[in-house]
Amino acid sequence: MNETEHKVVFIACSIFKSELEEIKKKSALNISVRYVPSMLHMSPEGLNLRLKSLLQEELARSKKVVLLFGDCHPYMHEQESLPGVCRVEGMNCPEILLGHTRYSSMRMEGSFFLMAEWSKRWREVFKEGLGLKGKTAKDFMKDMHDKLVYLDTGLLPVPMRELEEMSDYSGLPYEIMSVSLEPLLAEIRRCMERILKDDIHTSD
Amino acid sequence: MADDILETFFQYLLQTKREPANAIIDEWAKERSYREAVFKILEPALVRFGEKWSTEEDVSLAQGYIAAKIAEDIMTKAAMERPMDVEPESKGPVVIGNIEDDYHALGRKLVVIFLRSAGWKVYDLGNDVIAGDLIDKAVQVGAKVVGASAMMYTTAVNVKKLRKEIDSRGLSGRVKLAVGGAVFNLRPELVGEVGGDGTARNALAVPELMERLYDEASKG
Repeated sequence: MNETEHKVVFIACSIFKSELEEIKKKSALNISVRYVPSMLHMSPEGLNLRLKSLLQEELARSKKVVLLFGDCHPYMHEQESLPGVCRVEGMNCPEILLGHTRYSSMRMEGSFFLMAEWSKRWREVFKEGLGLKGKTAKDFMKDMHDKLVYLDTGLLPVPMRELEEMSDYSGLPYEIMSVSLEPLLAEIRRCMERILKDDIHTSD
Repeated sequence: MADDILETFFQYLLQTKREPANAIIDEWAKERSYREAVFKILEPALVRFGEKWSTEEDVSLAQGYIAAKIAEDIMTKAAMERPMDVEPESKGPVVIGNIEDDYHALGRKLVVIFLRSAGWKVYDLGNDVIAGDLIDKAVQVGAKVVGASAMMYTTAVNVKKLRKEIDSRGLSGRVKLAVGGAVFNLRPELVGEVGGDGTARNALAVPELMERLYDEASKG
């Protein structure tokens, strides 16, 4: 671990675990990561408190923090504005992976995005968390969206069985879309440069 | 008898049973009318549902969605009873949309249903609507209230552009700004920060908010 890497900690949503580990490997980034379970998104206040506690802990150890999250709880703006903290661009995980322009145009087309971790947990999220079952689920999903789009970063096998089941449950067709890790890598680099630049200015 | 029907209908709302809820109203309306069903069953049941929604956290997304769809079903049937040449009485035009960059349509769609059920003429501009378009429409149709929905802080701050648009066109006080969405419930102070004139905790409470803002705008 070099001096720069020693100063930085990532606090990341577990939904990005495969992608972040791949980026670390390919870019030879030897940075510590603290993963937060993605299911905390179902409880914004719980996520807020968990991140607050992790940030306090890391900043107290004089670490710089890159937050790999969307705007996932109502106080994220305050947390990302703390000195020594930078959050990657994007209001949610699909936008972080796709970038704003592509994400917006796909939302306008009626896309509902799925990623690996949540694809495996769709029953927990939709049936138990949101109470959507049977015809209600189909009516709801078709009222809100036109298709399911699975974002495939190529790091995990595409969960075909879950996609088929989710499609059957929602009444929506699905597509599998290959996604590059480049936008995510670029955002990580931007954040690291920013917090380390802030550090140089602070040291001055 | 009406109390029994009301209780059964209310339970169907809670249990997200759209078809039985429609069936019980269809049966009841055979000897009366759907318009009477709106006043005697739907509205009282929705008031109870709204109270539960406002005070208890265990009203699920599915329950809110199906309650709105049942209301829409019954209002559509009631509208069909009206002679073709009779215009429905309207409380006035309102313009609503998800603010720029916001695509979380559910809350807006529920608001549209409940506003229409309450007699408002709603112009729904959809998702990702820029401030200028919302105000252009409000001016065009003479709406005294514009509603903007945002789910997250990132998109809620775009409502400031709407406030600026209202003020820069000299419409302050004459066009009121209603804001809503999850982030405003979780951070009520945001309503004032983005220039909102009011908010409602859920879609069922929006008609009451609209009436208040409409009255305020009418007084200038």
